Amino acid sequence: MPLPGLTIIGESINDSVPSTKKLYEAGDIAGLKELAKSQDDGGATYIDVNVGKRAPEFLAEMVRHVQSVTAKPLSIDTPDPVMAEAGLRACRDGMVPVLNSISPLRLGMFDLLKIRKFKPILLVTERNENGVGQPNHTAEQTYETAKQMLAEAKQHGLAVADCILDPGISPIGADSEGQFQRLMKSIRLIHDDPQFAGVHMSVGLSNFTVMLPPKRADGSPTKGPLESAFLTMAMPLGLDHVIGSVKRKYETLTPDHPAMKCLTDCLKLEGFDVIMRVQEFYA
Amino acid sequence: MSDLKTLSQAVVKGNRKDAVEITKTLLAAGMKPLDIVENGLVPGMAEVGEKFKNNQIFVPEMLIAARAMKEAMALLEPLLVQAGIKPKFTAVIGTVQGDLHDIGKNLVAMMWKGANFGVVDLGTNVPPEKFAAAVKEHNAQVVGLSALLTTTMPAMKTTIEALKKSGLTTIKVIIGGAPITQEFAKEIGADGYAPDAASAVDVARQLVAA
Repeated sequence: MPLPGLTIIGESINDSVPSTKKLYEAGDIAGLKELAKSQDDGGATYIDVNVGKRAPEFLAEMVRHVQSVTAKPLSIDTPDPVMAEAGLRACRDGMVPVLNSISPLRLGMFDLLKIRKFKPILLVTERNENGVGQPNHTAEQTYETAKQMLAEAKQHGLAVADCILDPGISPIGADSEGQFQRLMKSIRLIHDDPQFAGVHMSVGLSNFTVMLPPKRADGSPTKGPLESAFLTMAMPLGLDHVIGSVKRKYETLTPDHPAMKCLTDCLKLEGFDVIMRVQEFYA
Repeated sequence: MSDLKTLSQAVVKGNRKDAVEITKTLLAAGMKPLDIVENGLVPGMAEVGEKFKNNQIFVPEMLIAARAMKEAMALLEPLLVQAGIKPKFTAVIGTVQGDLHDIGKNLVAMMWKGANFGVVDLGTNVPPEKFAAAVKEHNAQVVGLSALLTTTMPAMKTTIEALKKSGLTTIKVIIGGAPITQEFAKEIGADGYAPDAASAVDVARQLVAA
């Protein structure tokens, strides 16, 4: 049962997931369709489709395969406009898919709205400085980019509620540069600004705990509780989507849960102390 | 007890206070800085790499160990420079043009430093010509290219072409990043592929020895 108020974009059909990569390489379409079905059954609202570096026609084919086993809308996951077009065109009529994603460096992808309506994930982790991408290191920069991307989306006829902002989540186990604090502050700035009322926010949640051991010293899981702790902190601030796994039991945690204590501390710590606090949580 | 073995273990455990203290004690006792690096710090980081490959430790432990090594190195580096001792070889590293991801690249740079390579880190979004210029400037033997996006993978090929065009035909190119495979490395003419930061040390050593 998914967490109330949380829309899950099922992440599994992705070429960078090792087990899925094998399915692609083996041409195991039945296996890939099964993966789509299991995410549908598991409570995903959207099924993400990422075929990695393959031909646009292959993405279109995968879209049709996935649609043959699920009525759920899809999330077309590619930064390449040509591939995105092929994927969007293959989506069945009447569906409003997600396009994952448009960044300030590929604003041309808004033109794909001429083909069909979609909800874009707007990546606001980088900004365009005279055609060159620069990472947003502060919450203020992230927030500025969010405002610019929202303005672009509106110019292309989208409503605020059609937009899904992705403020970027980084691995907490390698966070010596305050990325988690930047993220939480960005979410809060967006949430507190009335011009963003009704906007959606999403992160690629599994990225938060990548690089961490699967189990804590006592044998209990590491990743699920940390991801749930993040959701517990971010959902009241308007985060309502994740690209994530239906196998995880995302839940709301109480403030005294060890994972909540860990992330609460991480918001106050700096530099390597964040990494060491995360290590303390699992070691 | 202050000996090279305890220094290695301080690095493995990421205990930077011990790493610094033992280094100071060893220097005071007259040990040569290069001995401390090669027989204390480098074996420590090598053990870290092994444990990482075997899933006995994870990225946080690796980062904490690398910091302990770095702080001990900060004491030794001026002495090495003074004695005119340079790392045996130099590696240039960066994330390719169009790509702003740096975690993987930073981990490799750290592990290379841990193996006592000279490391020139060019950062992210590095144009092909900049790689070529840095290799020439620093007389590097190895260059590491990182990419996290499928859309920036072609920039690896462009970079390899730029290196060749600049006459850098003997430079060994190692590539890595989430979407990268051994096949892709072969396809674009890279000399090596490293699936993780610990392997990047082995791959670089093999290529330079070859």
